Amino acid sequence: MIRKDQHFYLALLLPAIIVLLLFIAAPIINSFFLSFHRIIIGLPQLKTPFVALDNYLQLLKDPIARHSFFITIIFVALTTFFELLIGLFLALLIHHRFPGRGALRACVLIPWAIPTVVSAQMWRYLFNDAYGVINYMIFGASTNSYIPWLALSTTALSSIIIADIWKTSSFAALLILAGLQVIPEELYQAAKVDGAIAWQRFRHVTWPLIRPALLIALLFRTIDAFRVFDLAFVMTQGGPADATNVLQLYGYKKMFVEGWMGYGSAVSVCIFIIVLVIAVAYVRMVGRRLLEANV
Amino acid sequence: MKTIKIMTIFLGIVVLSCTNVTSTWAEKPTNIVFLTWKPNQPEVWDTVIESFHQKNPDIHIKVQVGPHSSTQYHAIVAQRLKNMDKSVDVFFMDVIWPPEFANAGWALDLSSKFSAEEQNKFLSGPITANTYQGKIYGVPCYLGAGLFYYREDLLKKYHFKPPTLWKEMLKQGEVVLKGENEQGLHIYSGQFKQYEGLVCNMMEFIWSNGGAVIEQKTGKVLLDDPAVVKSLKFVRDKIIARAAPRGVINYEEPESLDLFIQGKTIFHRNWPYAWAVANDPKKSKIAGKVGVGIIPAFQGHNSASTLGGWQFGINNYSMHAREAWRFVQFMTSHETQKILALDAGLAPTRRSVYQDPDVQEKRPHLNAFLPAFKNTRPRPLSPVYPMISQELQRFFSQAITESGSDIPGMAAVSSARIEKFFALGAMIPK
Repeated sequence: MIRKDQHFYLALLLPAIIVLLLFIAAPIINSFFLSFHRIIIGLPQLKTPFVALDNYLQLLKDPIARHSFFITIIFVALTTFFELLIGLFLALLIHHRFPGRGALRACVLIPWAIPTVVSAQMWRYLFNDAYGVINYMIFGASTNSYIPWLALSTTALSSIIIADIWKTSSFAALLILAGLQVIPEELYQAAKVDGAIAWQRFRHVTWPLIRPALLIALLFRTIDAFRVFDLAFVMTQGGPADATNVLQLYGYKKMFVEGWMGYGSAVSVCIFIIVLVIAVAYVRMVGRRLLEANV
Repeated sequence: MKTIKIMTIFLGIVVLSCTNVTSTWAEKPTNIVFLTWKPNQPEVWDTVIESFHQKNPDIHIKVQVGPHSSTQYHAIVAQRLKNMDKSVDVFFMDVIWPPEFANAGWALDLSSKFSAEEQNKFLSGPITANTYQGKIYGVPCYLGAGLFYYREDLLKKYHFKPPTLWKEMLKQGEVVLKGENEQGLHIYSGQFKQYEGLVCNMMEFIWSNGGAVIEQKTGKVLLDDPAVVKSLKFVRDKIIARAAPRGVINYEEPESLDLFIQGKTIFHRNWPYAWAVANDPKKSKIAGKVGVGIIPAFQGHNSASTLGGWQFGINNYSMHAREAWRFVQFMTSHETQKILALDAGLAPTRRSVYQDPDVQEKRPHLNAFLPAFKNTRPRPLSPVYPMISQELQRFFSQAITESGSDIPGMAAVSSARIEKFFALGAMIPK
């Protein structure tokens, strides 16, 4: 009986497994495979020789890749930090009961619901040096002092970071809100009875109990931020002077613009491995915290 | 067992419905897929394609629109052709692509269809650009060349002739700025974002100083040549954030043209299409006040314009090459080029169109473009041009973005990288 059942279960699982293999496992394996070859689309006469780890060794010595890695790290650190901070504030705000809370909760999610390409285009207009709203808000009519945000190396990266924070803070808020909602009301009542002021209630009741949710938000945001591509692609194309040439964009340019399939794949594989390591490390941490929270 | 039966039936339905779709195709006219980018005047292209349909009822053109940016459009076309995708028949090639597309075997060799006699009816610049190792791979659709636009009204007001030297342009600009005293008015705008257009703009500064980036014959990279370094320093110190707003560092053609047609710059570098936009009273505040000529030069050197423009190519793997060729022939005929010249302001590649009385009467400026068209020079011709271009873009952007940048030092690094790309091309067995 059990065996027959197992067949049935397997049959039910099969479609999902096929989809996973086809759309997740196969491309990943293919990327690994490509990254061990020298493939140049524009020069098919060179064939596609197996070069073992040559692409990776070159990548280690590639100063452009190193620079891209560096600015990606800055991007990840700043966006994740501010998204969690703002997300926490937003979550605390929309967790409170007040008239119009439902509407506000929906509003908070709007930036996250807009496709990144669209919001990137919007931010490109907002940051425009001649008619951008941001310049107008800061300098008003004195157009001579308008700052070309996307034309300076430092502000171009900051602009992309700001656009990302605007867009994804609400996602962090959503995850943290979920954590807030499982905290029993009784705990707060008990704390009040003990005479705890608002800050103490946050510090000793809310904070320890939402830490697992925060860690999950941290995990998602770090991984996602590492794969940033569309914001830079739409807003700056990696410029000026490679100031926003994030790792994923560099890999894309190598692969699809220059036609180095092998080398570009090596970049992707490296991003994949970095993200995987972060994910495993976080999941272990989150898993431990969850256990601790249950004790 | 039951589940297996259900799944087989389900699969059967899927397979059957697929075959149904394919069998109904045959009776309809042949579909030719034309992969294009978003044109500036889509309505004109629609009309032209419609008139092709009327004359050729057995062919239906399916237009697929790709990105506006040349680099992004290249990524899509190259990706599909590399995969031997038969669902594209006709595509556009930027003037720098034919060597790559020919070498990779993506573009159909048109030598048997596009006779030497027919080729002679076209301007020679774009024909050279479409020829690779003695064979021709594309038919020029329209010509591009860097043109120098200026505000005729302002120059007249201050009794200036259009400048022929960069220095002269700056001097005239200073005078006009002082005289007009208008907030937000600048001397110059061009395209300086880190993309293909940056290469086109910088080439013109380099050539007009007697420099070159690559010696075409030997493949020697000359980025640290004093003539190159000097022209880059000029752009960094005198153009960016001086004559032009610093924002041009993130500008492609549309943004820089916007500045000009809003009356915010006196001089402007762009392709021929900008003429029609700048003189369209619905879009432009300076319609009728625009002059056009050749790009200025440095003292003692000659002006040069980057050769641009687009060609039709046919997919080497197309199932309908004959029908695709009929479409390309129609699109590059005298009549079509005339319509594109009259209604979209695109510069013809056929010599005869310049002599056409209608064109001469309604588009007299096309003859004003001719001096620049005769000054055109190609960007490096190489099957690895995309790699070279990416490195040039990086180098130029670094050179002009930071004041006080170490241009000779960066030039040495970039030269070494580009020489590596050339070495790859040289590995091709002859």
